[in-house]
Amino acid sequence: MNSFIQFLVGFILITLFYFAGELLVNLLNVPFPGTLVGLLLLLLFLFQRKRVPSVIVAGATPLLKYMTLFFVPAVLGVGVYWDDIAGSFTAIFIAIFFTTIVSLGVSAWIAQKLMAPVVSEEQE
Amino acid sequence: MNLLIELFVSKATTLFLSVFSPTGALWIGITLCAYLFSLWVARKTNNNPFANPVLVTAVITGSAIVLSQRDMAAYQHDTAIIHWLLGPATVALALPMYAQWEKIRALGWRLVAAVAAGGIIAPVTAWLAVYAFDTPLAIQMTMLAKSITTPLAMEATKQIHGVPALAAVFVIVTGIVGAVLAPCVYRILSVTLPQAQGVALGSVCHAIGTAKALHMGEKTGALATLGLCLNGIMTAIVLPLLFA
Repeated sequence: MNSFIQFLVGFILITLFYFAGELLVNLLNVPFPGTLVGLLLLLLFLFQRKRVPSVIVAGATPLLKYMTLFFVPAVLGVGVYWDDIAGSFTAIFIAIFFTTIVSLGVSAWIAQKLMAPVVSEEQE
Repeated sequence: MNLLIELFVSKATTLFLSVFSPTGALWIGITLCAYLFSLWVARKTNNNPFANPVLVTAVITGSAIVLSQRDMAAYQHDTAIIHWLLGPATVALALPMYAQWEKIRALGWRLVAAVAAGGIIAPVTAWLAVYAFDTPLAIQMTMLAKSITTPLAMEATKQIHGVPALAAVFVIVTGIVGAVLAPCVYRILSVTLPQAQGVALGSVCHAIGTAKALHMGEKTGALATLGLCLNGIMTAIVLPLLFA
C-alpha cells in the first residue's frame, strides 16, 4: 500500500507540472505544446534539486513503462480519417516506408562520421 | 481566465464520465485486456517489432469496435482518460533525459548535430514525397511530425493545423518500419558504431526505435533515448515556429 501512495503522490506532482505547462502556454498564448513546456519545467526542477525525488520516480516509472497503452485511443482515431488516408495511399506509403529507411541510413552515417573520433578516444 | 476554468471543468467532466459511465468502464476494460494480451504476445515473440503492443492492442480493440458496430468517435469519448494519461507520461520523459544529461554534455555539439541531421532529413524527405503527390495540406503538415514521439507529435500537429489522430498512425508505422529494417540498413551502409546506430534510431524512429536500440545493446539504447528526447523537443519547438 505504501508504494501505491508513493506512486499517487508522484503521479499528482507530475500532473501538476503538466497543468503548469498547459496553463503557461494558454496564458502566454504561445504555439508550443503544453506537454513540452511541462517536460521542460520538470527538467528544470530536477536540475535545481540535483537529484530525482523518489516519489517522482515512483510516479513516473509506471507512466513510462505502460506509455504504449495511452496511444491506443489516438491510433484508433484513424478510423475516423480513413477516407483521407485511402485518398492519398501511395504518397503516404512512399513517405513513410522509403523515406524512413533513407533518413535512418543517412542520419546514422552522419552520426558515425561526427561521433567516431570522440567515442574512440573515450574508450582507449 | 474564466475561459480557462470553463475549459478545465468541461475536460474534467469528460474524464469523469469516461471512467464512471457503464460504456466507459466497458471499453476501458476491453482496451486494458487487449493491452495485457499484447504485452504477453510481445514477451512470447521476444519483442518482435511486428508484435508491437500499440499495433496489437489497436487491431484487437478496433475489431471489437467494428464487430459491435460502435461509433469510433464514441469509443474515443469512452476512453478519454487513457488518452489524457499521455500528457503526464510525456512530462515524465524528463526523467530519462535528466539521467542521460552527463552523456549529452560529454558529446556536446556532435550529438546535437547528429540528432538534428536525423530530425531534419526525416521530415523533409517525407514531406517532399507527399508534396510531390499533391496530397491535401493537412496530410503534408501531419507528415512533418512523423519522426517524433507520439504525444509530442500529436500536440505539434495540432499547432500546425495537421490531423493529430493521423500523426499518431504515421508515427507508429514509421517506428515499426525503422525498427524492422534498421539492422539491414546499417549493414548496407556499414554503420558499425553503436552510438551512431542508437542516435539515428532514436531521432528518426522515436520510442519504437528506442525499444529496438535497447535490444541491440546498452550504448545503442542510451543514445537512442537521447535522440528520442532531443529530437522530440527540437521538432516540437521548431514546427510551430515555422508553421503555426
